[in-house]
Amino acid sequence: MIEISRIKSLLTKKIVVLDGAFGTELQKKGMPGGVCPEQWCIDHPQIIGDLYTAYQKAGSQIVYTCTFGANRFKLKQYGVRKNSYQMNYELARLAKQVCGKKTLVAGDIGPTGLFIEPFGPLAFEEAVDAFKEQVRGLIDGGCDLIVIETMIDIQEARAALLAVKEIKDIFTIVSMTYEKDGHTLGGTDPVTALITLQSLGANAVGCNCSTGPEKMVEFVTAMKPYAAVPLVAKPNAGVPRLEGGKTIFEMDAKTFASYGRNLAKAGANMLGGCCGTTPAHIQELAKSVAVIKPKMPVRQSISALSSARGFLHITENQPLFIVGERINPTGKKALQQELVEGKLSIIRRMAAEQETQGANLLDINVGQPGIDEEKTIKDVISLLATTTKLPLVVDSSNIKTIEAALRIYPGRMLINSISGEKEKLTKLLPLAAKYGAMFILLPLTGGEVPQTAQKRQIIVKNIFQAAKKYGFTQDDFIVDCLVMAVASNPAAACETLKTLHWCAQTFKSKTILGLSNVSFGMPGRPWLNATFLAMAQFCGLTMAIANPGSSEMMNATKAGDVLLAKDKDALRFIKHFSAQTDVNAVAAAGKILTPQEKIAEAIMNGDRENIIPLIETALSAGSPAQELVDKIMIPSIVRVGDLYEKKIYFLPQLMAAAEAMKKALGFLEPLLKKGSAGNKGKIILATVKGDIHDIGKNIVALLLRNYGYHVIDLGKDVTAEAIIETAKKEKPDVIGLSALMTTTMINMKDVITLARTRGIQEPFMIGGAVVTDAYAKSIGASFARDGVEAVKVVENLIKK
Amino acid sequence: MASLVFLEKISIDPPREKIYQRLGYKKRTTEISAKQLEETDCFIHEASRLISLKGSLLRLSILQNDGEKIILSKNLTFKSKKLSAFLRDCGETVLMGATAGSVIMEAIKEKTRQDDLAAAVVYDATASEMTDAALDWMTDYFNQLIRREGKTLLPRRFSAGYADFHLENQKSIYEMLQMEKFGVAITSEFILLPEKSVTAVSGICG
Repeated sequence: MIEISRIKSLLTKKIVVLDGAFGTELQKKGMPGGVCPEQWCIDHPQIIGDLYTAYQKAGSQIVYTCTFGANRFKLKQYGVRKNSYQMNYELARLAKQVCGKKTLVAGDIGPTGLFIEPFGPLAFEEAVDAFKEQVRGLIDGGCDLIVIETMIDIQEARAALLAVKEIKDIFTIVSMTYEKDGHTLGGTDPVTALITLQSLGANAVGCNCSTGPEKMVEFVTAMKPYAAVPLVAKPNAGVPRLEGGKTIFEMDAKTFASYGRNLAKAGANMLGGCCGTTPAHIQELAKSVAVIKPKMPVRQSISALSSARGFLHITENQPLFIVGERINPTGKKALQQELVEGKLSIIRRMAAEQETQGANLLDINVGQPGIDEEKTIKDVISLLATTTKLPLVVDSSNIKTIEAALRIYPGRMLINSISGEKEKLTKLLPLAAKYGAMFILLPLTGGEVPQTAQKRQIIVKNIFQAAKKYGFTQDDFIVDCLVMAVASNPAAACETLKTLHWCAQTFKSKTILGLSNVSFGMPGRPWLNATFLAMAQFCGLTMAIANPGSSEMMNATKAGDVLLAKDKDALRFIKHFSAQTDVNAVAAAGKILTPQEKIAEAIMNGDRENIIPLIETALSAGSPAQELVDKIMIPSIVRVGDLYEKKIYFLPQLMAAAEAMKKALGFLEPLLKKGSAGNKGKIILATVKGDIHDIGKNIVALLLRNYGYHVIDLGKDVTAEAIIETAKKEKPDVIGLSALMTTTMINMKDVITLARTRGIQEPFMIGGAVVTDAYAKSIGASFARDGVEAVKVVENLIKK
Repeated sequence: MASLVFLEKISIDPPREKIYQRLGYKKRTTEISAKQLEETDCFIHEASRLISLKGSLLRLSILQNDGEKIILSKNLTFKSKKLSAFLRDCGETVLMGATAGSVIMEAIKEKTRQDDLAAAVVYDATASEMTDAALDWMTDYFNQLIRREGKTLLPRRFSAGYADFHLENQKSIYEMLQMEKFGVAITSEFILLPEKSVTAVSGICG
């Protein structure tokens, strides 16, 4: 093992060249399919030794041990009896013996092939334990550094990285595999992975396998501005293609190497090859980057948070960030009850609502007497890690709860909060450092809340001094400037704003406020809150802990961002208010519509919310109900049908219009001539026996009702007997049958045959995904392609 | 190496473009207002939160492929010329199954009951496309597992009910994949329940 500083020093001088593929090369040298590659290498030391030597000669400065799959889970799959430690130890020793001192050996850790909680069944600690077994073997076998590679799951990468760092502070590369859409299979993009992994202690981060080098240039380019560590790229020799049942990587060495230059220019500091590459590829790559000066990381630290599937970069001159505050049982009886019962449905709903309402982060507090807070926080994080892309804020006064959250969370978390009490500093700062979390710095030292800005500033500086010892910079925390109620201290708001101004302008840190405290005990709280927010924004506020469901608050933040030039071209502001604008778009355009025209437009636009008030207005203005139906609504819905047939409308528009129509008809029905509603004819509809798909039939039913037909909907999976019995009783004008599958479509024929044998002569109309006109004719039925056509078919059948 | 893998939380974003296409959206023809667009996107978003994608996959050796039938390890035989042709270059096969879960189906039912078919059709399309996308995801996942063996999955899949590969075969695929373990049932007509559940067969080349 060599010191981390030596590898860092090497990286400042030149692009470090890694090795190329082993798997595809070993297959060329006779490794058969289906064997355990690690065991095969132990059984064929000369072949693997020759390959190391070939990569050394080609210019590799670091080679990977052939231990990619030497974890207990994969070895078990292959039925290998040797334990993971021993396998890794032997293969590391073999690599070191061949490579000597000239070339560094990286102990290679690949994925287990299993998904780890919260994304899969493997317990996080079991994964960490399995990786530790591997790491011990690699380090005892003499590896100089560790590489965790080809990871598709950010949580597995975290488990492996924690395993390494909990054993030894050794230089560790973590490399993820991205699909062509720029995400891992778990949905993590390169920047999100970088933010999570570099904060957790990875010494270099990058990407390997999956795509060819061209795509990898994009990934490296995306990561570089956020990187505080060197970047790694190890692409395949192009994208593989199948030829006669064989997988072919066809990019030649020179072409591959030409991308090496682009990768280095984009900011990659370590380059090598993955599947399909050979010593020849590495030789050309080494030549092509030999004289390129490496681009070192542009920063030492970064104010950024991440979830498994997204990140938040916190910089100045950005719109105000909102931390959704609602997931907190204080004062919420239903949530308290759910937490006691171990249920999470309210939390799931609250998270979804806050995300939709515009929160950028979610504060999670499960502090509730009578529950196991550590278990609950893990359950909540497991739920939210898979259901929201927003980064989470762990909010607890219990250190163990915070630690449980930090360990399991598959991203970079924000701790709410670390104050100046000795216990908090000595216990929480090391935890935040270990897991790479950001924290909210709370200027309290126990006892009284410091009343003045000056006192708060002193505590902020003291906590920062303590944090520096753990390597934190001003990028890593956000200062809570303490909001107190103006009802009890008229100067409270001013002192908060002074603290805020000092943080933003002098101390140069990010800031956060729990806004609503300011108005506690006062009337007109929304006004005080919104005005205080505007003042705080002007003083440089970065984040607010608030309820994103409060429209006053959200509207005020959007307005403040525009006025402080933090919303470029006011785009966010315009988008925020666009829904209201859209409703009144026509009025805004200056065109004055009659009440009847407004009804027609509401149907055309599928405006279910406003159709009833519009009809009430038209009725008050003297329009007869029957005339509204015959001259306004029916022509409008016919026009919608036309637009749908021409593909100018798509299905949701057709349905919205039909619903608006249905709502209007329902409202007008008591005013219409008796019997006029549903008097155009009687239709029976059913999805045939064996078929459970009914969405298409439901669409047909809705449209037929809109056109004035009385529809008897028998539902799905309906037997021929039930259809025939209903037909005998109801004497319909048309019977409509639907089926989605070829296997159930044949049941339509049985229904029609049975109907005819029972003397029912009414016409049949059939439809469904696999039904064709020819099939319909063959069984003596009419065919309707979709709901709009079904209306026309019914009209024609009844005319006959 | 026959090993059944369960994937309990498949996290993917809703394939918006495919969902719109499924709903009849035509790029240069369909005209949607900002409000309708927002509403549709909102329904997709709601649906995606109600969808819980789970799946399983099983790798099996092809013991015999005589062009008429395929005999796989675990005593599984499929009689289908088309499937035989599809797998002609493959030494192994992968069976895959996925479901969107029952919560979304209940939500579609409820929206229909409330006469909110505008939401129901979008939920339905989202569930269908996300279930298909889950199989794509499983294909990518499996490709990652076998890439180092120098192997690749065929880019396409074959499903029971297609061509001469009869729907009855879905029962043995269902049983092999133990889909009941993640809440999927099969009817006597070989239809999977919940409705948005699928199975497929692919081949391993290389």
